[in-house]
Amino acid sequence: MLSLFRSGDGWLHRMPAGRKIALLALAAIAVAALPSSWLACGIGLVVAMVGYATVGWGVRAGLAELARQVWGLRWLLAFTAVVQAVFAGVEPAAATTVRIAVSLAVAALLPLTTPAAAVLEALERILAPLSWMGMDAARAALLLSVALTTIPVLARLAAEVREAQRARGVRPAISRGMLPFLVLTLRHADQLGEALAARGVR
Amino acid sequence: MTPAPATVRCDGLAVRLGGHLVLDGVALALPQRTIAVIGENGSGKSTFARVVAGLVPRTAGTLEVLGVDPDRDAAALRARTALVLSNPDAQILLPTVAEDVAFSLRPQRLPRAERDARVAATLDRFGLGDLAGRAAHDLSGGQKQLLALCGAFVRDPALVVADEPTAYLDARNARLVADHLLSDAGHRVVLVTHDLALARRCDVAVLFAGGRVAGVGTPDDVVAAYERVLAC
Repeated sequence: MLSLFRSGDGWLHRMPAGRKIALLALAAIAVAALPSSWLACGIGLVVAMVGYATVGWGVRAGLAELARQVWGLRWLLAFTAVVQAVFAGVEPAAATTVRIAVSLAVAALLPLTTPAAAVLEALERILAPLSWMGMDAARAALLLSVALTTIPVLARLAAEVREAQRARGVRPAISRGMLPFLVLTLRHADQLGEALAARGVR
Repeated sequence: MTPAPATVRCDGLAVRLGGHLVLDGVALALPQRTIAVIGENGSGKSTFARVVAGLVPRTAGTLEVLGVDPDRDAAALRARTALVLSNPDAQILLPTVAEDVAFSLRPQRLPRAERDARVAATLDRFGLGDLAGRAAHDLSGGQKQLLALCGAFVRDPALVVADEPTAYLDARNARLVADHLLSDAGHRVVLVTHDLALARRCDVAVLFAGGRVAGVGTPDDVVAAYERVLAC
């Protein structure tokens, strides 16, 4: 799931990126820390619905966006729910699944309401204090941004490997596809490095 | 009045990569605006493009790009040079079309309004104005390569180095990209290509073979010479 910026003029859009990162992180942590109960499910759902409904796109469009985000997580949530139900029971399974869904949906409000450049600049500021450890904050922030942007490419490379296996009459398998996927990924990383250099990042 | 510096001037240029001599004894003086670089795979033409763009350091010889020695004043050259690669996917750095183009302007630290205006004007120029908010990875191959051109041209470069920019494109998009690249908008072009028809549209062509220059001259003459080699 990769969320993209959606323009708007709501309170979250107007909030500075650094403050927004702190607020959303706090909200996601608070939801994740809720106890494993039906009450937690209710609180989590209310937090997510209120957050998306008031973001500034209108209630209907906000809730539709929330539904889209949750739908993007459906396999992860289904897997979590089933495993938790088998090993911990129905109530903890429901609570854990809702907490994961709400935490990720709340986190998605950051890229949805903040241009990538603003996130990049905020991350640079947030990471700047770590420079005493020798960390280059600008590079670390850029690394995070580019890594997130590259997820669709990696998904496509994995699909290409599976197609190549099928084309040769082999049933796609992770064990057989890992090496060619790694080679393609490293080649892409090389090209990405050149593209960064071409845009003035050395 | 001082004459404009040559686009590329080199003598005895050599590059060694991983123990292999990839370029050897390259001597060129190319004042022309658009330069086609052709040759077989492994002939050294892509390495030549990367040396010109300042991505790969030379091992020996002299080199001037727009009158600047890339090894001595890399920052000055980078500020005036843009690079377009063949794989459009590998050139997308930020999620949306407008954000990706704006990324090229980061080193300039422009005011937001000016940055946004330049991005919008560049997207309009390349026909992507309506796609500014779209996910860059969802574009078609041709649109992605146009996006790469936007990322290059938004900086208003004096020189664009393009390494097989039409390799992944269909005929229509290849022509569109080539038209933008070769249009006389005040920039110069070093174009590495396997498309001989595209090479013929340049002012001068250089043929590489085995890391050396095998021919320099008018594109018609150099392409004809290359075709004779291919026919053997």
